Amino acid sequence: MKRWLRRSLFLACVLLLATFAAMACGGEEEEEGGVTPGAGAAVPELEDGTLQILSDIAYAPIEFYEAGSNEAKGLDVDLANALGEKLDVKVEFINTGFDGIIAALQGEDGDVIMSSMTITPDREAEIDFIPYADVGTGILVKSGNPEDIAKLEDLCGLTVAVQEGTIQQDMLDDLNADACSDNKIDVVTFDQNPLAVEELRVGGADAVLADFPVALNDANQSDGELEVVGEQFDAAPYGIGLRKDSTELKSALEHALKEMKDDGTYASILKDWGLESASLE
Amino acid sequence: MVLAIGIRFDPSVVWEFLFNGVILRGARETIWIALIAQTVGILLGMVFAVMRVSRNPAARGASGFYVWFVRGTPVLLQLLLVSFGLRQMIDNEMFREVLTRWRAAVITFSVNEGAYMTEIVRAGIQSIPSGQMDAARSLGMTNLQAMRRVILPQALRVIIPPTGNEFIAMLKNTSIAFAIGVLELSSAARRIYADNFKVMELLVVAAIWYLAMTTVFSLLQAEAEAWASAGRERPKTLGSLLVRALVPGGRER
Repeated sequence: MKRWLRRSLFLACVLLLATFAAMACGGEEEEEGGVTPGAGAAVPELEDGTLQILSDIAYAPIEFYEAGSNEAKGLDVDLANALGEKLDVKVEFINTGFDGIIAALQGEDGDVIMSSMTITPDREAEIDFIPYADVGTGILVKSGNPEDIAKLEDLCGLTVAVQEGTIQQDMLDDLNADACSDNKIDVVTFDQNPLAVEELRVGGADAVLADFPVALNDANQSDGELEVVGEQFDAAPYGIGLRKDSTELKSALEHALKEMKDDGTYASILKDWGLESASLE
Repeated sequence: MVLAIGIRFDPSVVWEFLFNGVILRGARETIWIALIAQTVGILLGMVFAVMRVSRNPAARGASGFYVWFVRGTPVLLQLLLVSFGLRQMIDNEMFREVLTRWRAAVITFSVNEGAYMTEIVRAGIQSIPSGQMDAARSLGMTNLQAMRRVILPQALRVIIPPTGNEFIAMLKNTSIAFAIGVLELSSAARRIYADNFKVMELLVVAAIWYLAMTTVFSLLQAEAEAWASAGRERPKTLGSLLVRALVPGGRER
């Protein structure tokens, strides 16, 4: 009796210690109070005076890490930095998997989402949005378009690679329920868009669906192996995602965005990335 | 369900998706991939284990290299290597057509498991006293015959428990096949929650299925261990108790 009791107590102590150790190591830093804003809108308390932005940073040219660097770059990054300047706050991008990014925002892993997220009714039921750019979808194929794809319906019966959780995945599911119900598309999903593109490159898929600027960028970076078919279609606004209760932050950001449009910063950033067509002015 | 600390969890969603078609397909793929990979892994393990203890230095070296390389790299890396790396490197249309994503996953898990099984089988072989091999040889058997008829059957008692553990780990490791676009249980759950945003509920569904699978195989492992303990103390297992209770006049095997 005594022996097992002693051993159980010992084990319980070890487990308790381990738990405490884990908590101590993984703990977040204490919040240091809010930040006072510069001229302009009132900004609610942000942790450490930083706007933390959740983003799937593998979607060039909207958000990406340049090969070998740890610094996020892209359209969303530049827009976010400009917004931060207007609000006089620091901006930090936090790399987050796209399929769980809304859950991450709701779990307060960050303050906003800026991740080429298209505004859809399903998503609007979960979070609020501030529209900031207008972007459509593009079809990426092997150079020479061997499967003769001209429009979405031509994808019936083919294998299409796509990123998990994107509207393009929804498009393909809709096609399979509807126009392609007799000749279904084999939808292959990946964690991140570059892997979907790689699947196309090695011949495991016939096409990739992604946001048009991203598809175009993938084609340009492919040394002539890939091309985009036709023009962008189904253009819809990207939105900055916020929790439903972040009303103050939302109005602050809306105000800052308006200022950026008024003084030309918005237009010039879009121009830098060749995305004037995405303007929502 | 809202408690004082504000928990948002809907058990009805768990029930709703527990037998969902996509989830079931994912569970089936998980078991299927794990079964094939474990079987091939055991075969590879036996071959390479015998090589590992062979007198032939080339065989020993090859086996040693295989184990070292496969155990020394993460499975995720191996998956990416086999699926994307090989297809990028080998610019042959037929090769690329034959090496589908699913086959790449099965091959990777099989080869990976083979390395771990090699070590397990080798330990089993080496646990048999050398007197057994001497006796077998003195009866006129070749090394290979001795292995097959005398050593390996006895080694099974030592090999089965860790093999069972390996299979249970394998069932769960298949979840990283998502990285190369293969649908299994975890990616099925992720696909659904990416659509309806019920992250916790879907993960609970997946967890329930993993637990169901691993529990069933744990019970089977206990049975296998009991079977292999021929002549020695027979542990009571759930299966043997059920046999006793349900089969009229049934006795423990």
